[in-house]
Amino acid sequence: MSKNENTSKRHMGIKAANRLSNGAIYVLLILISVIWLIPFVFIVLQSFRVESTYQVGYVVPHQWGLQNYINLWNSDFKRWYLNTFIIALASAVLVTIIQLCMSYTLSRFRFKMRGPLMRFMLILGMFPGMLTMIILYRVLSDLGLTQANAVPGLILVGFASSGMGYYVSKGFFDTISRSLDEAARVDGATRLQVLYKIILPLAKPIVIYTILTAFMGPWGDYVFARYVAFGTSAGYNVAVGMYSWLTNDQINRMYTTFCAGGVIVAVPVTILFLCLQKYYVEGVTGGAVKG
Amino acid sequence: MKKLIALLLALTMAFALVACGGNGDAGTGGEGGSGDLAGTYKVTIWCPEATVEMTKAQVAAFNSSNTMGITIDATVEPVSEADAATNMIQDVSAGADLFFFAQDQLSRMIQAGAVGKLGTSAAQFARDNNNAASILAAQSGTDLFAYPLTADNGFFMYYDKSVVPDSDVDSLEAIIADCEKANKNFSYELENAWYNAGVFFGTGCHSQWVTDNDGNFISIDDDFNSDKGLIAAKGIYKLVSSPIYVNSSNADFASGSAVVVTGTWNYATIKSQLGDNFGVADLPSFEVDGQSYHLGSYSGCKLLGVKPQSDAKKNAAINQLAQYLTGKDCQLQRAWDPVEGKTPNGQAENGGFGWGPSNKEALQDPIVTNNPALIALNAQNEYAVPQPNIHGSWWDIAKVITTDIKASDGSDAALKAALQKYADSIQAVFEISDEVKNAFTVIGSINGDSWSLDLPMTQDGDIWTSNEAYTMDVGVEFKCRQGMSWDVAYPADNFVVETAGTYKIQLNAATGEVTLIPA
Repeated sequence: MSKNENTSKRHMGIKAANRLSNGAIYVLLILISVIWLIPFVFIVLQSFRVESTYQVGYVVPHQWGLQNYINLWNSDFKRWYLNTFIIALASAVLVTIIQLCMSYTLSRFRFKMRGPLMRFMLILGMFPGMLTMIILYRVLSDLGLTQANAVPGLILVGFASSGMGYYVSKGFFDTISRSLDEAARVDGATRLQVLYKIILPLAKPIVIYTILTAFMGPWGDYVFARYVAFGTSAGYNVAVGMYSWLTNDQINRMYTTFCAGGVIVAVPVTILFLCLQKYYVEGVTGGAVKG
Repeated sequence: MKKLIALLLALTMAFALVACGGNGDAGTGGEGGSGDLAGTYKVTIWCPEATVEMTKAQVAAFNSSNTMGITIDATVEPVSEADAATNMIQDVSAGADLFFFAQDQLSRMIQAGAVGKLGTSAAQFARDNNNAASILAAQSGTDLFAYPLTADNGFFMYYDKSVVPDSDVDSLEAIIADCEKANKNFSYELENAWYNAGVFFGTGCHSQWVTDNDGNFISIDDDFNSDKGLIAAKGIYKLVSSPIYVNSSNADFASGSAVVVTGTWNYATIKSQLGDNFGVADLPSFEVDGQSYHLGSYSGCKLLGVKPQSDAKKNAAINQLAQYLTGKDCQLQRAWDPVEGKTPNGQAENGGFGWGPSNKEALQDPIVTNNPALIALNAQNEYAVPQPNIHGSWWDIAKVITTDIKASDGSDAALKAALQKYADSIQAVFEISDEVKNAFTVIGSINGDSWSLDLPMTQDGDIWTSNEAYTMDVGVEFKCRQGMSWDVAYPADNFVVETAGTYKIQLNAATGEVTLIPA
């Protein structure tokens, strides 16, 4: 640092001070984002490495190619991907419908036991879902919804208790003035019409937030999926299927294919988030304003 | 909304019915043909992903070659032999009929009922055809519970000849010096009990769990915490204190290692990584106080489990298939050198996996005796301890030895402390409360039980009375024992019921006198 700069610093104005602190913050943020992005860049690069299929000590491939993606296409991955997609999509639709109806009901209707019911669901929701894993497996097994039939089984698991996740959207609905409902009712709208003609358009962020979270849960699920589909490749989702490539006898052959699978799995979620990011942030914060 | 929910529920129910319908038990097909096993059997087989295609081909070969008229309609699913127990135990009834698994899961499999005792002729078949170590792996107590599939679950050393000259491969110290000079790593997964126990075996220590015929662990005989164990700890410290030590058993040659201690499963990969510099040998020796100790190892097996079937005919048929799959020909197909060799039908892309066979005849075959990895494995086997049944908790207890040694300063006191901690931890596995240790229980042929169930008794001073009354026929035998062990048990000879009736059992612990109280 030169002497000149030292003198100017002493007389630094507010603007300059801001710029300096902003600069420091930016440097820090860039550093953090680089650290955060390294694994993703690493996986993408590894997925194009074709000179070998095992783990190596360098990041940039010596030979580039699409062989790993071709291998992926020729493996069971297609099936797993389709399974995951069906489960996530079906859960997203069902969970959204049930959860929004539930929230609307609890926000607008006044009925006996409403308060106790809400408290009861709140308490029930505090138990980790994993506790029910073994009994759920038995139930699904008796229904014949395990192993090769894991997809409908996991959809059932995905949406069965979704009504209990009403808090966020109910909070959001509470912020929408009831006089809008009343006006619509006076004009002859039914309760259902009020919901989808008045409330839902106003609550777009929360609807999108609900869809996104409902989609993401099953998309990344491992524990339930493995437990329900155990030992049957046809019922695996991507997480379970790809994890089976990481065993001792598989990893040297499948490592780069695994990376390619990771990239493919990330694609729809990334697109979804990029398109809906604006609403997502609104949804998360919007619901939190009023409980 | 109501309609929608009703529709959903109806659909769910309808689906459940359809799914149940498709899930009926495997039929045994038409009778007739030659022999009584003739028929078609639905069988699910779990094997590692790489072996799926070969297993399908082997089942097809069995179908066309067997003279009993058995046709197997096989569903082959990729399930790693490392995960077989976790998957089977979850739901034995929905699990596979035949499954590859690593031997350390045997006890869990037996206790879960995922495997049953092999019949007399099946056991004889396995004993006649397989080497002693693999038979030991497949038995609990004195009974056989599975068919040996390989005898290659051991480890040895791969090295980069450009870093470690052949003249140095017998000395751990020389290899460490070579690696440090070339700034290359030494991969040895010592923070894993399977690998670090070998160092202790090398200095003459032993660790043996004792199991009974039901797969239960009774006790452990272990002397890692001894003077010999201290020597092993010093050997471990030599490597883990070096900057070139890496805790890994992966094929690390592409990421900076010059030596990797691992097994046959990495052979093909390492061969392609090292090319002309490929070297493989048994483990080296290390020196402590002027004395040399060859590093030991575990030698283990992979087994083929057969799930007990309610249908006796199907049971017999799949045992035939299991014997075929673990026979000489099938073992040799898997043993085929994945790098150099071609399969017996000449197709390189369908090649074997270099799995070392357990079959006695297959072990003499050139396919095995010319495979460099299997040569090294067999050389190491002279210093290896056959892996017995091991209590599941031991792996986590024993791996900590290395972690503690690594964190220590290498002084005798610190190493001894690490071993003492280990010894305390394994003793705790068998620690039972004083209350259980002192309590008397009744055990015998009461209620048709075959001396497997301890019936509780309640204490009143020296007098112990059974909590319930039992209906006993003439000839029913039992004893009262303390702490569920046989150190203290009354009467000396079994109590034999002479008059049928319903009795409570009473014991005078001071005199050892047992009486029946009519209820």
